[in-house]
Amino acid sequence: MNHGIGIDITFLSLATLAVVTGWRVFRTDSMVRASFFLLVSFIAVGVIMILLAAEYLGVAMFFMMAVEMTVMALFMVMFMMNPAGLNPMNMVHQERIAIGAGIVGFLVLGAMALLAAFPDQPVSADLEPVRSLGNEMLGDSMLIFESAGIVLLTTMIGVVVLSSHRGRYGAAAVGSLPPGLEPGGDPAGKLEEDEEEESGGHQHHHHH
Amino acid sequence: MAVNWLRKLASHKRAPVFPVLGKQGDKALRYLALSPEIELVDSPRHASVLLIAGEVPADRLEPLRRVHDQLPDPFTTLWFRNEPWPHLENVDRIDDLTDLPAALTKAHRELMTGQRDSGCRILSDRPPNPWKGEGDFGQGGEGMMGGVPYGRPMAMNMQEDISDGLTLDSLTFRLGPFFMAFPPGMAAEVTLQGDLVQSWETQLEPYPQRLDAVFFNARKHPVPIAEIELARARHHLQRLYHALHLAGLEALSLSSLRLAHGLSTSSTLDGLRRRLVRSGFFHLAAVGGGVLNTEQARQFGGPAARAAGLADDLRSHDAGYRRLGFSPVCQDGGGVSARWKQILDEVEQSLMLARQAERDEVYTNDVDCIETPRGPWDEQPPEDASAILDEILPGLEWGDALATIASLDIAAVADRGGGTQSPGESRAVQGGSGNVVK
Amino acid sequence: MLLSELFLPVLMVMFMLTVGAYVVAVLDRLIAGAFGAPQAGRVWLAPMARGAWLMTQHANATEAPDWQAWRLAPALYLALAAIGLAVVPWSESLVATDLVTSVVLWGSVEALATVVIFLHGWSANALLALIGGYRYVALGLSYILISMFVLIGVALPAESLQFTQVVASQEALWNVIRQPLGLPLFLIVGLGMTFWGPLNLADSKDLAGGTASEISGPPRLVWDVARAAMLVAFSGVAASAFLGGWMGPWLPGPLWMAIKMLAVLLVLLLLGRVLPRIAPERCVTLMWVVLLPLSFIDLVWAGIGALL
Repeated sequence: MNHGIGIDITFLSLATLAVVTGWRVFRTDSMVRASFFLLVSFIAVGVIMILLAAEYLGVAMFFMMAVEMTVMALFMVMFMMNPAGLNPMNMVHQERIAIGAGIVGFLVLGAMALLAAFPDQPVSADLEPVRSLGNEMLGDSMLIFESAGIVLLTTMIGVVVLSSHRGRYGAAAVGSLPPGLEPGGDPAGKLEEDEEEESGGHQHHHHH
Repeated sequence: MAVNWLRKLASHKRAPVFPVLGKQGDKALRYLALSPEIELVDSPRHASVLLIAGEVPADRLEPLRRVHDQLPDPFTTLWFRNEPWPHLENVDRIDDLTDLPAALTKAHRELMTGQRDSGCRILSDRPPNPWKGEGDFGQGGEGMMGGVPYGRPMAMNMQEDISDGLTLDSLTFRLGPFFMAFPPGMAAEVTLQGDLVQSWETQLEPYPQRLDAVFFNARKHPVPIAEIELARARHHLQRLYHALHLAGLEALSLSSLRLAHGLSTSSTLDGLRRRLVRSGFFHLAAVGGGVLNTEQARQFGGPAARAAGLADDLRSHDAGYRRLGFSPVCQDGGGVSARWKQILDEVEQSLMLARQAERDEVYTNDVDCIETPRGPWDEQPPEDASAILDEILPGLEWGDALATIASLDIAAVADRGGGTQSPGESRAVQGGSGNVVK
Repeated sequence: MLLSELFLPVLMVMFMLTVGAYVVAVLDRLIAGAFGAPQAGRVWLAPMARGAWLMTQHANATEAPDWQAWRLAPALYLALAAIGLAVVPWSESLVATDLVTSVVLWGSVEALATVVIFLHGWSANALLALIGGYRYVALGLSYILISMFVLIGVALPAESLQFTQVVASQEALWNVIRQPLGLPLFLIVGLGMTFWGPLNLADSKDLAGGTASEISGPPRLVWDVARAAMLVAFSGVAASAFLGGWMGPWLPGPLWMAIKMLAVLLVLLLLGRVLPRIAPERCVTLMWVVLLPLSFIDLVWAGIGALL
């Protein structure tokens, strides 16, 4: 292997950064911070991939993870009862299982790295990594994959439009009734509310 | 040496001023907006001079102290028609509006060149809530949540979303009375869900506004219609300035203010109206919401009512106006964009009436009931309408809510003779700094 | 080797960063003056005086901010602008870094900008900044997709993800004509990335400065410079992707590039001064319902063009 000391130093510092920020993900007390620590970790891995001449995969890692982590942070904040993600919260659950799984994963991967016999096939210098990667991954199916991607995206937008309360003709919930418990029966939810009102609050539902 | 050179360069900057508006302080604001050497900023963090313009009532002194302490070092204060606090050293009081820009520039220059010391903090730098939660991670209790860590409760009080069905955490805060997008003196407690106003409670009413003297004279004796109509158009254009500033149309807002400044019977609105329509203000900007129903519009009166289709205008009963062939213009819709279209139409109408009246020397006839730019004044001057915000703002996005406030002339009209303190102002209030909730 | 591969490119990017940000500040002021903003003093001095003022001002604190993120965000945004400037080719050989995947790298700059702007608003632990940050995520997620499709569109005829190749592919016909939808869509992306003018949802007036409402002193200076530099980087990318980059008769390549970048900058700054700020909801609806389908059409157009 002929590479300079600079590459080694860069690799080591990036690897340290990836591991340290990965560890911080579990030690921080905020959803937003955890997401973006994870992003930093991924970016460090992406740069390592560029060092390994996987130029496209490394750069693709940047933008995929940036969007992904933003969306993840956003969704966590949306669905957790933590105002705007500003309050501290515990970022780890089921620690024992997680620690066990982590150790097993580390051992397996470490054993693979140490024990596996990696092929030694130097590629020619005039190889175009991006083009050959594209051919390797998608080959003749490029058009199908690209079309499927756009169709999926359109579907997602369509689902959001359809599931929003607001439609072109006003709020979606207006005038709609829940289906009956038996075919052709009375609407389910509405009846229950009426019953509750009649019973004057004597009975309480235990499951909510 | 290098620092001196830097400071000298810094003193050439337009003086960044954060205006805290007391009573009748908005006149100073509009004057400064047209002064080339002054840069008015929207956040106290962006200023080096804090301008206290006009008298600040006692219940707004606490927020004023907080705003004062939010200015980053080095900073100083300047008091316009208000007595500086005794413990502040080396601060000036200015009473003449024309001296104000020069005084602000001087304050900034002296501050930069070191001739004037930076102001000192008034409040102690202590968090209002203990900045620590219980539990291993400060999360405030067992498990993931619970308790009130950092004085900010977990968002357990989820309210059903009123917009698109995606229920988000609600965030409650107090804003005002020196927030630049509110009418001077107004403070409100707002609950947001995402970007959406879930509930709105006006806590401090805006200061009563003092209209042009001609409206008070019109209550005593007939006045030239040309004069009263120009004053009306000026009032509307000044409000348009605030709204356009908020909408990010800086150049147009200043045009509007300039037009108001030099308004005469030979002025025309055509240029401003054309530029406003072409900029896409009525299509792109936040002008969608804020619809008043008929009841609210009637209660509100004035241009806001006419924008909702009510053709009520006291001018149509006045013999002087009848001679000029006056009939009220109306819009239907009653929302923000209808109100601005109405305002533009009324300004145009006022200019036309003023031209005719000047030529024929027509005077108003009625003195006991006049139409002010704010609304009808028969027995009582138009009253504060900030309570209406509590009804119409929930359900709007933040930008739409602020655009709605800007489009409504909610402040009461001060009865110049009597006390300017309205009963609502004595309502107790706890918080509300300029921009920041702590 | 170290000199030519590391030192010179870094110097070049730093130079463009400084000059570019200054040019943006002066141009914006000139345009504002032409539209009737009150002017005082010399236009060329004003940005420097403002910079000096921010240097002398103290950086303030809010109550318990996320210090790391809050202080880092402006610097990171500046770094992203620098990365953007580094991939802009000034001539066939004058490029700071001629990556094979520079188009994708620019895409990740756009995506990471969203992260940084959100963090800037979130970490201040103050209300208006927070709203600005969350609002920006909505905008950011909307414009990134449009940008991706438009950029894939320009990569198709070049059969490469390299900006130098993209420019070279415009030898016969500039992409602005070959893909007429591309540049208008991309300009909107540029306004979004720098939250400039009509798309200033993050640092808007109705939030008293939004994510920047709580910063003062040097961090604010860095933030402002970063925004201006990002606008310059964007105009460089737009000029390379659609206006034929360094190509043009008579004049040397870098000069053509500078002229084209200035033209893009002027259009963006003019739009910023003429249009009102778009209401956030209207903006997001416009992005997903109108502009994104248009970017599909642009991509299909580019694909058919590449097949023919």
